[in-house]
Amino acid sequence: MGEKFEPNIIGFLCNWCSYAGADLAGTSRIQYPPNLKVIRVMCSGRVNPIFVINALQQGADGVLIGGCHPGDCHYERGNYLARRRMAVLKKLLEYTGIDPNRVRMTWVSAAEGVKFAEVVKEVTEDIRKLGPMQHFKRENKW
Amino acid sequence: MVDNNQLKEAVKKTVSRDDVKYVVGYEKGTYGFQATPTFAYKPEDSKKFIFSPLCVHNLAVFPMLEEKPPLRKGQEPDTRKIGVVVKGCDSRAIVQIIQEKGLDRDKVVIIGIPCTGVVDPKKLEKMFPGHIKNAELKDEDNKFAVTVDGKTTKVSKDELMPDKCKTCEYPTPVLYDILIGKEIKSTKKEDYKKVNEFEKKPLKDKWEYWEKQFDKCIRCYACRNACPLCYCKECMVDQLNPQWVRRSVDLSENTAWNLLRAFHLAGRCISCGQCERSCPMDIPLMELNKKIEKEIREMFEYEAGVNAEEKPLLAMFKPDDPEEFIL
Repeated sequence: MGEKFEPNIIGFLCNWCSYAGADLAGTSRIQYPPNLKVIRVMCSGRVNPIFVINALQQGADGVLIGGCHPGDCHYERGNYLARRRMAVLKKLLEYTGIDPNRVRMTWVSAAEGVKFAEVVKEVTEDIRKLGPMQHFKRENKW
Repeated sequence: MVDNNQLKEAVKKTVSRDDVKYVVGYEKGTYGFQATPTFAYKPEDSKKFIFSPLCVHNLAVFPMLEEKPPLRKGQEPDTRKIGVVVKGCDSRAIVQIIQEKGLDRDKVVIIGIPCTGVVDPKKLEKMFPGHIKNAELKDEDNKFAVTVDGKTTKVSKDELMPDKCKTCEYPTPVLYDILIGKEIKSTKKEDYKKVNEFEKKPLKDKWEYWEKQFDKCIRCYACRNACPLCYCKECMVDQLNPQWVRRSVDLSENTAWNLLRAFHLAGRCISCGQCERSCPMDIPLMELNKKIEKEIREMFEYEAGVNAEEKPLLAMFKPDDPEEFIL
């Protein structure tokens, strides 16, 4: 092998802010690591913790959840609800011995292309340091 | 001590009411120490009702198990109430279900029992092994008086009680229609000693511990079926499209199931300990539940199953919820 470990990160980005922010980063030609695989969701409140656990099972080394800034949610309260959920989930993961830094959450607005690139850089570096997720990866592929 | 005659009288009175379908309570089981859930449809049935520290079950599951078959044309729906005999912890389960609107308050008659602590059947089995024919257990002057084949031994409560009873803050039911006996004031305080100690370990040790525990799981879902708050019409592990958790019993799926089960009870678990009691593989599920309970107490100052008027934890928010983990 001898190859450098490249983390695999799943990003759940909210349609109205973070996804548009990622779009802006792209159109502004800002460089950021290609390790993030983006899944667009209508709201960060749509992200069920089952998605996060399932992503980690299927070989993701980390999960990034992007939502609108508090108070800016298109659906008024989705990101607040997501924040509560993720706060509990991170504590639970930490308690079972999975580094809580594998699950990250961020607020990125549609105008923050630069911030989005920085967040992705930071998350990728963090997860690169943590190494591959081997705790409960799904072994059977059928 | 609970006066059994008073309990029988209360059950009899409740079943005799026209608007009550049945009352669910405890009776003496067939073997050894067992006590089993029992139903009273007629006033005569109330004779078999008992309450002792052996009544470990949480009967709050029964109103949720009520089947509602489709009605025939012209048939009136059965709107009668269900009577439930509850301990302190069980009453919190009912409060939590009412809070989530899983059950109407006027659909249940709650017969509350101030409880001084029950036994842990697993600990009891260890102390008095084998299938004993005639066994009794009574609560006498702050000790359990265990009678096995005519011989009585007194055992201190700490040795036989489950952890949840050692730190019980609600011995008297939070919500009840009829109370048997007098209210008990709690002198115990939940200190999350086990959780705090485990938290200090490094991540690697924590995973090593839980890996072993989750690997034991045979995914019988007894924890789900015994839990009064797991009453989804279709559980996420039974779903086929999309199939979130696969059927195979391996570490990956077991971990996913156990984490998600604990998460789905976040802000809802009232720590009645039924999951752990029913677990055939002795997985310490209550440790996960207690951890979440502790965190939500610290982060959101919320306690499940105390106030039926409050909104469920994960269905509400405060603008100043903790967000130091957000980038």
